[in-house]
Amino acid sequence: MLESLAEFAIQGIVLGGLYALFAVGLTLIFGVLDVINVAHGEFFAIGGYLAFAAIVVLHWPGAAGVAGAAVGTFLLGLGVYPLLLAPLKRRLGARPRGPLYLVLTLGLSTFLQSSLLAAAGGDYLRVPPYAGGVLDLSFTAVSHQRLLVLVVSIVLLGGLFLFLRFHREGLAVRAVAQNPDAAQAMGINLPRVFALTLALGVGLAGAGGALMAPLFNVYPTVGFPLTIKAFAITILGGMGNLAGALVASFLISLAEAFSVMLIPSEWQNAIAFAVMIVMLLLRPSGLLGGGGRR
Amino acid sequence: MIARVRVIAVPAALVVAALLPALIPHPFVLTLATQAMVWALLAASWDLLSGYTGQVSFGHAGFFALGAYAAATATKHADLSPWLGLVFAALVAALVGGLAGFPALRLRGHYLALVTLGLAEIVRLVAQNWLELTGGPFGIHDYRTFPGLPAAPLAHRQARYVIVVAIVAASVVAMRALCERTPAGKAFRAIREDEVLAEMLGIRTTVYKLLAFVVSSAFAGLAGALYAYDVQLVSPSVASAATTSFVIGMAVFGGLGTVWGPVLGALLLFGLSEGLRFIGVVYNLIAVGLVIMIFVVFVPRGLAGGRRTA
Amino acid sequence: MLRVADVRSGYGKLEILQSVSLAVGEGEIVGLIGPNGAGKSTLLKTAFGYLAPFAGEVALEGRPLVGLRPDQVVRLGVGYVAQAGGLFADMTVHENLLLGGYALRSSREARAAVDDLYARFPLFAARRRQPAGSLSGGEQRILAVARALAVRPRLLLLDEPSAALAPRFIADVYDTIRALNGGGIAMLIVEQNVEAILAVAHRVFVLDLGRNAFDGTPAELRASDRIRRLYLGEDEG
Repeated sequence: MLESLAEFAIQGIVLGGLYALFAVGLTLIFGVLDVINVAHGEFFAIGGYLAFAAIVVLHWPGAAGVAGAAVGTFLLGLGVYPLLLAPLKRRLGARPRGPLYLVLTLGLSTFLQSSLLAAAGGDYLRVPPYAGGVLDLSFTAVSHQRLLVLVVSIVLLGGLFLFLRFHREGLAVRAVAQNPDAAQAMGINLPRVFALTLALGVGLAGAGGALMAPLFNVYPTVGFPLTIKAFAITILGGMGNLAGALVASFLISLAEAFSVMLIPSEWQNAIAFAVMIVMLLLRPSGLLGGGGRR
Repeated sequence: MIARVRVIAVPAALVVAALLPALIPHPFVLTLATQAMVWALLAASWDLLSGYTGQVSFGHAGFFALGAYAAATATKHADLSPWLGLVFAALVAALVGGLAGFPALRLRGHYLALVTLGLAEIVRLVAQNWLELTGGPFGIHDYRTFPGLPAAPLAHRQARYVIVVAIVAASVVAMRALCERTPAGKAFRAIREDEVLAEMLGIRTTVYKLLAFVVSSAFAGLAGALYAYDVQLVSPSVASAATTSFVIGMAVFGGLGTVWGPVLGALLLFGLSEGLRFIGVVYNLIAVGLVIMIFVVFVPRGLAGGRRTA
Repeated sequence: MLRVADVRSGYGKLEILQSVSLAVGEGEIVGLIGPNGAGKSTLLKTAFGYLAPFAGEVALEGRPLVGLRPDQVVRLGVGYVAQAGGLFADMTVHENLLLGGYALRSSREARAAVDDLYARFPLFAARRRQPAGSLSGGEQRILAVARALAVRPRLLLLDEPSAALAPRFIADVYDTIRALNGGGIAMLIVEQNVEAILAVAHRVFVLDLGRNAFDGTPAELRASDRIRRLYLGEDEG
């Protein structure tokens, strides 16, 4: 019994790393730009496609492929704010019309998903694992590939937190999240911070997509289930609260892992939504409360 | 420009819609036209809640699916007449809409959109996994459609088309009347513009928001039932996010907050997307995505050019 | 130093300033007073770039400011202290001051600037790790001013520095203002607390309903019965 629990716990933790990579990026974007990026999952998919292109087509080594995919997604993400969000902001001015930005990113999501379908077809593309073999713990075995995902996620997220905490530009990003007007008065260039933050957030998603390509395969809608789950995680952790998103990611992934004992596995995905709905009704500010302005 | 669009387009569309079965008696065209009408009703119902009252919902696919499944299961398992099935579907959707509306009253903006998205996903998961009730991934079929229609295939289609158009037209007129000619409509607009101010002016925003939820989901459910009886197959994909995306695209294209604008947007966008299907199956959603992005930013009032922006 | 000419400005379609002109000379403290809604804060925000004026000119030493973003205006040597300070309340005193130095060319310069500020304002040196929001009202206000000094501005725009402060703290803030002006910094100060501003200003502009109503030295203001009655209150001055 204890062995089973431990096994579920390990599975939950490993999956949590991926969720965290995804949800923290989404939360970062929300915290700084006040926009919910419905298209986040599509950047996850793009990361997978870039990894496929680099590793399977161009025969790059795995690490370079993943790094290239992350950077490529980041670069693509740089265009989103200036081309899409900034024009809407100019039109709306200071009026907070959150739902319209949501509709905009929904349009982006539809566009990206169907563009991927058009460009690459709907086939599930296979990417070979970056690390073979398994780690044999006495009660369970964890594939090295999954461990790799967890480790890299932790490293990337650690890097992000260090950047935000100690680097000058990270301080600027936090300032914009807390008080954009005051940040401007400090000489911080808002459009630049917005564009970079969004690119950073989707870059993390792209890294996740590249890392998970051997496990999930690569196809246009691979990121969508994660997106919805990430909304739930973000709300659980408190929208705009990065640490909350981190904690909530693992809470949800562990809940899903342990739920297998109680409910049929098809219903696993419903857990995240059920949690989200309950959270929104009882305590919309999330477990740890909203970070930044919210 | 705005006035001219309305004066010309609306009567023209109505005339074409009415005469279509006679003008182009081709089963394929009629099938498409019928589906377009169903989308139009769904888009209009979404607009009533999200564009007109400002409570943006990302989960209308859920109410649509509820109506479709309610109608299909009732007719299949309880042999309910499809005419009654329409009413039943609308009631089921309205009930769930009301229940969902209650807690949603406290939520604004992003949160409301996300919780409705979550609800739609739950509906989809239930549809996909509750085999006994919903037939699982393969859905429900084998149920009858409207009784008393001509037997010949073409005439049958023409009759179905006329039924759908009549119901959709009546529904849209009813929603429009609710929004433009009743105190409820005024309340909806006030809530959209400034909810806090509306409260202070003495408008019972709770009641009206709930009303908007119930009416909107009822018509969405009705659209779902029409879909069920026309297509005669209901599967979990009707509750997908693509449905919601399509509906929002249609509303944005046609003009948020007008009720009839999304109708126009639905007919045009559906026509556009089906037309593009001839070019290559995969491109129609690209167009939808582009339309949403371009119109939200640059053409906020959509084709209808309503007096108010959302 | 700063010249505002015939500015029309507001929010969206709402016009708040109809036509306002003023000037701040080198090393001058200029006060901006008037009833609520007169547009005093709007003028400050327009000058700094938060708002784009519908018409008129704003120039800093001859260089036009209209069309520049606030972060660009800062780099020209203008500081802005918002109403209620605009501090990053959840960040530490140190982080707030570091941010003040963001526009400097490097982290090293920023850190040096912050060390200078600690020397001038020792009370912050002791509190550097505390969240800015935990300081007293007056300390927060002075921190906001200190933060704006990190980039060595030649002109400071202050929006109601005394707002919501106890009299003791108001005195502290205005002592700081006086000292800074002694060092040569020009200031444009919007104030509701007429007495406080009249005590330090070289010149005062009165705004009413989006237009200039009067300008002159504090003595001239006090001498005019009409101005005293309308804007200074009978029992003051």
